[in-house]
Amino acid sequence: MSSDEPADPGSSDHPTAQVPATAPSTTDLADTAFPTTQLPVTAASPSLVQPLLELESVSRVYGEEVKVYALRDVSLQIMPGEFMSIVGPSGSGKSTMLGLLGVLDLPTSGTVRIAGQDVSALDDPKRSRLRGDSIGFVFQQFHLIPHLTALGNVETALLYRNIKPSDRRERAYQALDQLGLGARADHRPVQMSGGEQQRVALARAIVTEPLMILADEPTGALDSANAAHVLEIFAGLGTPERAVVMVTHDATVAGTALRKVSMRDGQIVSDERRVA
Amino acid sequence: MSKTSDLVNVAWTGLMARKVRTLLILLGPVIGVASMVGAVGLTESAKGALQVQLAKLGTNLIIAQAGGTFGSQNPTLPSNAVQRTEAVTSVTSAAATTNLSGVISVPVAGATNYYEAFPVPVRAADDSLPSVLQVPMIDGRWLNSADNRLHLRSVVLGNGIAKQYGYLPGETRTIRLNSANFGVVGVLGPVPLDPTLDNAAFVTQWAAKHVFGTNGKPNELYVRTKNGTTQATANDLATAISLGGPDQVSTQVPSNVLAAQAQANKTLQKVALFAGLLVLTVGGLGIANVMSISVIQRSAEIGIRRAVGHSRSKIGAQFLLESLFVGVLGGLLGALIGIGVVYLVAALEHWVVEIGYGQIPLWIGLAVLVSVIAGLYPSIKAARLEPLETLRLG
Repeated sequence: MSSDEPADPGSSDHPTAQVPATAPSTTDLADTAFPTTQLPVTAASPSLVQPLLELESVSRVYGEEVKVYALRDVSLQIMPGEFMSIVGPSGSGKSTMLGLLGVLDLPTSGTVRIAGQDVSALDDPKRSRLRGDSIGFVFQQFHLIPHLTALGNVETALLYRNIKPSDRRERAYQALDQLGLGARADHRPVQMSGGEQQRVALARAIVTEPLMILADEPTGALDSANAAHVLEIFAGLGTPERAVVMVTHDATVAGTALRKVSMRDGQIVSDERRVA
Repeated sequence: MSKTSDLVNVAWTGLMARKVRTLLILLGPVIGVASMVGAVGLTESAKGALQVQLAKLGTNLIIAQAGGTFGSQNPTLPSNAVQRTEAVTSVTSAAATTNLSGVISVPVAGATNYYEAFPVPVRAADDSLPSVLQVPMIDGRWLNSADNRLHLRSVVLGNGIAKQYGYLPGETRTIRLNSANFGVVGVLGPVPLDPTLDNAAFVTQWAAKHVFGTNGKPNELYVRTKNGTTQATANDLATAISLGGPDQVSTQVPSNVLAAQAQANKTLQKVALFAGLLVLTVGGLGIANVMSISVIQRSAEIGIRRAVGHSRSKIGAQFLLESLFVGVLGGLLGALIGIGVVYLVAALEHWVVEIGYGQIPLWIGLAVLVSVIAGLYPSIKAARLEPLETLRLG
């Protein structure tokens, strides 16, 4: 992985220059238009701040004979410190976007970079490691492993990293405690409410101190009170270094974010920012 | 902490989380290994008593017999056959017996007719016979030099004859051999290597010559050899005894017969081993089947593990290790059950337990191998699973 790093500054400069040139849609122009009035991070100096994650002319095609474009020539940059949502109706390419942003999937064409690293150039172990280090996932259905305790579930994210079991437990417990679940560490998922389970999933996402939290309909399975609570936590998860990205079809959820990317038919149709 | 121990921990936890399922797939290797250990253990133990006896008796006894041409009456060995035999360097000891064919032994007065019809063989025997046979007296003493020197009319009963005569241990009993009274001085223990000795009464060489008037030529020689030279000695002994003379000598190693009897029923063993192998294979199919279903059931777990950064190879290894544990655990458990069954049946049947512990690691290894092969396909399937779909579906 380290051998690729000298190329990083160069590759991070290019896309900012290329986006207006290659972008066929007007949305990318909007992307560059807003930031100057916006967050200090991006406003400071776009050429010096490396995007956390960027898609460059990314297409994702399913099928061999009958080609279905789930994503068509999409470019997107996610900067450190951003709190953004990706919205769109079903079939708009949100799901594919989630897979590509989360490095669970690879583009058919175009480039996906995390911290300047082209993910297509990595083999599976390195890509998995990059995913584990950089991205914390939260899913609609929580996806806690049922036979493990809350603590065990959070610890799962720290496995295979040569961390001492006692340290691993301590870090997992800290993450749970941070989300107010210290007392529930030994409980299994079935013994917890939906809101609590989603907070365990959040603890699992933040325990690795990732660059980006990637949430898929994080409130989709929660009642409104729990949903509000979880969204509140989300808003507080961002740091100047970390981005929080929510993929959702829910306009109110999307509205809590400071940047809203709207998708339709595999393309980005708008990219709006607002001041907190 | 090393990645390997993380992996072991994850696989073990996964296995223990589904105890009933795990127990079910354990059955294959458990029953397979148990039946293989049991098959060998039971067939060997069934002959265990004989094997132990054989080890105790030794396999270095030779019986040399006078073998005449067909129809010749009472063929004999040369009178100095014992000396000739002991001259052979591989021979450690030898003792002779002589059949007293005309002598009728009658235990109680009035039973003469019966014992004339069914005579008990009477044999003159050397003082050293029990030590050559390595058979203990079960009562009293054997014939000794004092009997010969003092011309005592002592008789020793074979184990079978003592029972037939109703001889009680320590009893003072006089029996009649033809017209002479002989005092019973002891009972020889059972002689598995030559059961004809159990069914005989023994008198001294002096009595043979002077009471019954034989020529002192022995009929049988019992010969102990140095270990490892028995068969070669047996082959050469005939010549050593006859020395080119007219006497025909045949030799045999009686333990060979016993050794053949002590051989476990190899056919039965093979059939049972094959059955065990079959169970193991079918069990392997069961493991493959259940693990495949498990991979589908646990696709969300696999998805989330991939999402938190576990590589495909780690996922594959996790499932393969679960199969491996099933093999190891099932193998060990099966071996224990097999050993337990052998001990139980041996106790019920009064067998001597004979378990080939050297083979057990082989069976367990086989169970592990079958389990790992069975786990291969599900593991590859787990590793190849695309996480995104299972994670997005509600």
